[in-house]
Amino acid sequence: MRITAVQIAPDITLKLCPFSTKLSVLNYLDRSPAGTDDDCRVNNRYNMKNINNDMKDNKAKGRKVIGCFPLYPPLELFHSLGLVPVTLWGLKDSIPTTGKSDRHLQPYTCSVARHLTEFLLSENGAALDGLFMYNACDTLRNLPEIINCGLADTGRSLPIFKIHIPMVPREQTESRAYLRARIKMLIDELEEAYQVTFSIEKFRQSVSLYREMRKLCKALETLVANGRMSYNEFSRIIRDGWFIPAEDQLLVLQKILQDRPLSKREHVPSAVQSRIVVSGILPPPLHMIQAFENAGLTFVGNDIASQNRALFYTPAMVDDPADYYVDFYNHHYPCTTLLYTADRRMAAIRELILSTRAQGVVFIGEKFCEFEYFEIPHLEKTLKDMGVPTLFLEVSIDDNEYSEAYVTRIETFAELIGSANQGGRYAE
Amino acid sequence: MPNEDKLKAGHKKTEAGKRLSKLMINDYTRLHQKAKEGAFVVWIAIVVPAELFSGFENVVYGVPESHAAMSAGKGVGPLQCEKAEAMGYSMDLCSYARIDLGTAFDGGKDSPTFGLPKPHLLISDNNNCSLLVKWFDIYHRAWDVPHFILDIPFCYEQQTARDLNYISSQYRDLIRTIETLSGQKFNIDRVREALEHTKGALTNWKRFLKTAVSRPAGLTVFDSFVQMAPFLTSRGTKALAEHYRLLADETEENVAKGIFPVPNEKYRLLWDNIAPWHQLNKMSSRLASLNANLIAASYTYCMGSLEGEFDLYPYDGGDPLTYLARIQNFSICPHGLELRYQAMQRAIETLGIDGVIFASNRSCKVYSLMQMDMLKRVTERLGIPSVMIDVDHADIRKYSEESVFTRIEALLEVIDAKRGAQTPRKNSNPI
Repeated sequence: MRITAVQIAPDITLKLCPFSTKLSVLNYLDRSPAGTDDDCRVNNRYNMKNINNDMKDNKAKGRKVIGCFPLYPPLELFHSLGLVPVTLWGLKDSIPTTGKSDRHLQPYTCSVARHLTEFLLSENGAALDGLFMYNACDTLRNLPEIINCGLADTGRSLPIFKIHIPMVPREQTESRAYLRARIKMLIDELEEAYQVTFSIEKFRQSVSLYREMRKLCKALETLVANGRMSYNEFSRIIRDGWFIPAEDQLLVLQKILQDRPLSKREHVPSAVQSRIVVSGILPPPLHMIQAFENAGLTFVGNDIASQNRALFYTPAMVDDPADYYVDFYNHHYPCTTLLYTADRRMAAIRELILSTRAQGVVFIGEKFCEFEYFEIPHLEKTLKDMGVPTLFLEVSIDDNEYSEAYVTRIETFAELIGSANQGGRYAE
Repeated sequence: MPNEDKLKAGHKKTEAGKRLSKLMINDYTRLHQKAKEGAFVVWIAIVVPAELFSGFENVVYGVPESHAAMSAGKGVGPLQCEKAEAMGYSMDLCSYARIDLGTAFDGGKDSPTFGLPKPHLLISDNNNCSLLVKWFDIYHRAWDVPHFILDIPFCYEQQTARDLNYISSQYRDLIRTIETLSGQKFNIDRVREALEHTKGALTNWKRFLKTAVSRPAGLTVFDSFVQMAPFLTSRGTKALAEHYRLLADETEENVAKGIFPVPNEKYRLLWDNIAPWHQLNKMSSRLASLNANLIAASYTYCMGSLEGEFDLYPYDGGDPLTYLARIQNFSICPHGLELRYQAMQRAIETLGIDGVIFASNRSCKVYSLMQMDMLKRVTERLGIPSVMIDVDHADIRKYSEESVFTRIEALLEVIDAKRGAQTPRKNSNPI
């Protein structure tokens, strides 16, 4: 298989070199898309190894790889400057222990931060040429200097680019000018650090690329809702996408959708028996997803930060990247970490439930993620009042293995939804 | 077992302590009374600049964090936490938040102050703690009360002019919001007057803390923990300025008279984190029995200082909003590691600190998450023995006195060993 240029959208022809690493695309495409869950488990690990190789490969080619802290970095901007942005979440599979991180972070730190830190302090982090972070949460905002201390211990250092994203509703405070200034400053810093020049044309191309990529991710979600792709596979593809160049991810998505095309009517989820929506920062671990699917539950939609929340919205193109990001953050899909979106969150979840005809909602609590914890009682109560059953499962850093306790709760939840469904309790 | 005489040492109720009780009772009584009479009530995060409310004729404020600390100190922390947990709030959430939620949704029952009067406006900020925003959102939804968020950039280095302007513009938005909601007109001159009181209060606060320079120190950190309470509830008032003047006077007089809280002070320690409110008496007594005195805390020396600094940054009579914006980040949590280290280094050098206790606080990640590297830095760069202990500032269920004191006693041994290595054995007691 040899790919050199691909028309990925009416206005975009993708040239693989120098942006594509090829390796990640080919590795993915050579794998059986319909692997068993055991295969997925193996592939998850194998794939992370490839991801690390991809990053090293990029570096070897002289490409600058910028590691972005979760959750919603300005990816298009980095891409347009010729950088390869990778978003550092979902790292659990590549990190067997957190020994290095544990020298810097207390055990009550969330697994996202601990894995992120471990990744950066390990050999994997050496493939990065810089880091980017914004004020996503109290834990992440404390990390840059901690990571610098850890890197200094190993004789390394990385430039860290930081911006403050205003966390206020626009109707309360006019924060657009502030954000515009921060974005412009970031561009100046990146230009200086990497000796690159911003171009609005390239930025437009990057925006188109990411818009198309996000659109295809949504299409992939429909495959899951229709039972044609496991949620595990979907989660793996989306997770891998954060680590490869956007061009490569687009090819991966196109190939999958080519192999499993969506018919028009499939855009509305078909009548599977028990439909659930999952909410949280990261998707549940593989064994937990497997337990849900074994119990006859289908994931028809998600409110996961690393999935739908991150992929939902791309602004219309404008002539100024600063304006673009003002729009991007202001109209972002609601997330517990975007403080100004709190009033919109319940409506978004309600809309998600209605549009997917979900019969239940599963909350995956990332242990020690207080942002999520504060909202869950309210969401559970509101959903209960709507007649939508909920299940809360907490996942901690060492929840890698199969747990009978989870399975029992999941099966009970499936029975609850099933019996309610038979009784016609939940309106379509 | 420590002997009884030594157990009585440590934190004792002074004249200033008695005045403090009256001041706090007055604050809460006045708050409830004014609310009952129709005042516009706001609930604020602790670092919201309360002097702004002086600019209005009839605006009063409650501080849920301060109330939660008081509840923990009075022993009702776990009771209120359990109420919140029963409502579905995770035990991993900040114990201040759980105490406050438990209190508020139970109508103030079991609170030492009958809770706080219901607010007309909630004002949070995200510089000291972003979770405050989520916490106040709960009331915003439950009671349909407007929620104003102050969006304050974190300080990895000293505040920039751009950030200062952004903050002061938000104060203007806040003032307009209160004017609209309360129907009251804002008067900036009254804020100027309040800031003069704050200046007086903070000048005397720093004077009070400075009595720690003496050997033995004129205070314990437990004194400063309890005495900071009215800074949160009476900020910008003449009563506070007067109280801190008398506090500093009394403490200086005690030093002059040779009256010290830990007369046989052998170890001068610094505390890094929020106070362990449920342990003030017990911890101070037990430390005193070991001739150890916690003489300073990053939690209290930050009051009145800019980020990374130790000295007072006083109001200069200029634009009140500019001053408030500049001092907005006075607490430790909005500071990066480098700034925290700079201030701590000043404290260690100024006060002659022998050892640092880093209190790793499960309820305050924003304060705690840099401590492992801070500890390393303080130990390696400054040569100051340090220890990490596990605490929760308001939930006693997450605290183990014995394991904490095992570590503190180990710290004292390290300090002894260091002294032994530095000085001839016969002079092993340098104090």
